[in-house]
Amino acid sequence: MSAAQTIRPTVVWSDFIKSAPTTVEGRLRDRAHHMTRPAQEPDSELEARLISQIAGGDEAAFGMLYERFSASLYGMAFRMMNDAKEAEDVLQEGFTYIWRKAASYDSSRSTPFAWAVMIVRNKAIDRLRTRQRQERLHDKVTTEGSFFQEKDETSADQPSVRERSALVRSALQQIPSEQRQALELSFFGGLTHEQIAERLATPLGTIKARIRRGLLRLRDCLKEGL
Amino acid sequence: MIDESKQDLLVQYVLGELDSTAADKVSAEIAIDVELRDFAHEMEEAFASLAYTATPMAPPPELPQRVLRMERGAGQDSRPAPRLRMIWLAIPWALAACLAIACAVLGVEWASTQKSLISLREKSGETSKELALLHEKNAQSESKLAQTQEALAQSEKELASMRERNVLAELKITTLKAQIAAYKGATAVVVWDKDKGSGVLQLDKLSPPGPGKDYQLWVIDPKKPQPVSAGVFAVPNEGLIRTSFHPTVPVESVDAFAISIEKAGGAPKPQGQIILVGR
Repeated sequence: MSAAQTIRPTVVWSDFIKSAPTTVEGRLRDRAHHMTRPAQEPDSELEARLISQIAGGDEAAFGMLYERFSASLYGMAFRMMNDAKEAEDVLQEGFTYIWRKAASYDSSRSTPFAWAVMIVRNKAIDRLRTRQRQERLHDKVTTEGSFFQEKDETSADQPSVRERSALVRSALQQIPSEQRQALELSFFGGLTHEQIAERLATPLGTIKARIRRGLLRLRDCLKEGL
Repeated sequence: MIDESKQDLLVQYVLGELDSTAADKVSAEIAIDVELRDFAHEMEEAFASLAYTATPMAPPPELPQRVLRMERGAGQDSRPAPRLRMIWLAIPWALAACLAIACAVLGVEWASTQKSLISLREKSGETSKELALLHEKNAQSESKLAQTQEALAQSEKELASMRERNVLAELKITTLKAQIAAYKGATAVVVWDKDKGSGVLQLDKLSPPGPGKDYQLWVIDPKKPQPVSAGVFAVPNEGLIRTSFHPTVPVESVDAFAISIEKAGGAPKPQGQIILVGR
């Protein structure tokens, strides 16, 4: 029996699903809006509402949020830890934090997904630093040149996740490889600017510029919806 | 327009790379600057979107229940009731307060101990000085004692000498002379000790008194109506005889000594002829 089946939902999808656009322009506009600004999507509003309910002790809302985020966050954690058990531990720590600190979520500063991503990433970084496993991961990253997976292997049931994943991957293709590498080491490797500079034997200023430009380019691509 | 160095700072802020002081500073700036806040927000969204590049994986379905179960077990509810949460939040502060109090108490104790130590050291110094002074005084006393003992010894010597002189002063030496031609060759000397009231008689060349007779010594005390007997003494031959004597009654002063021939065993009053006498 899955967790989702055991939790009684307090909200229904119909509460949040808006009427589908009737015109082609409307559908395109809606799609572009949906893809380029995921933080402002109705989904984000739903997720923010779930977090608010979690802050009030709503276990069902917690289950729903887990259902929405867990696949992406688990994949991210696995990517960072390179170990399924540790990734599961990281995910558990992340959701434990979400359960405890839901009241601290500020919708004016982050979207729910970005908030959750940063929480889980921080948990993973804590573990990486504690266990000093960066080297193994970084060796894998630099030697295999894996960077971000270009092939969409998304198996999530949520279409929005697949769309967002495709959008981000396409955006990354527009970014120079050295910027992608720096972003990879920062995001999945959990390395600081200084550590990346040392790792790549590159001046710190250059690394800062690569990460900044990479993020700006990524932001622009997402805004434009490619 | 945000300059690049500021953008770099904001990116580091979003990535959680700033220390708490710098992060607080940036956070304060963001709170009042919409442009900075929007930029930081966009950077975080772009950065977080990288999570989509990881292949989604089927998560453990029981994890939410596990989290909730553990949170309930951790304190009935990991999201404790406000009061309980306050208690949990207060524990570190309480511990910190206890630590601070303990530090303060220990500090006071330490200061007090240091003060006592200094006081004890001062007292020890004073005691050492006093001890040195006492040693010095003791040495002086010993020196004085030695001097006193020496003086005492001297005094004792002087006293002994004085006593000796006194003894000699107390002694009366009297030579007795013959009153009869037949005893002309005999000599007798009496040494009388006034203090002890006794004396020593030394005789030489005195012939034995004959059968039924004894020589008897008499002490002449001017304050007594009769000579006081000092006893008879045997004279077996004419050799040197020395004998001590005690008058039969105490005498206050001695004027002369006399020896007479009395009946055997002596007489309470002088009856026989005086043969030797000396003043």
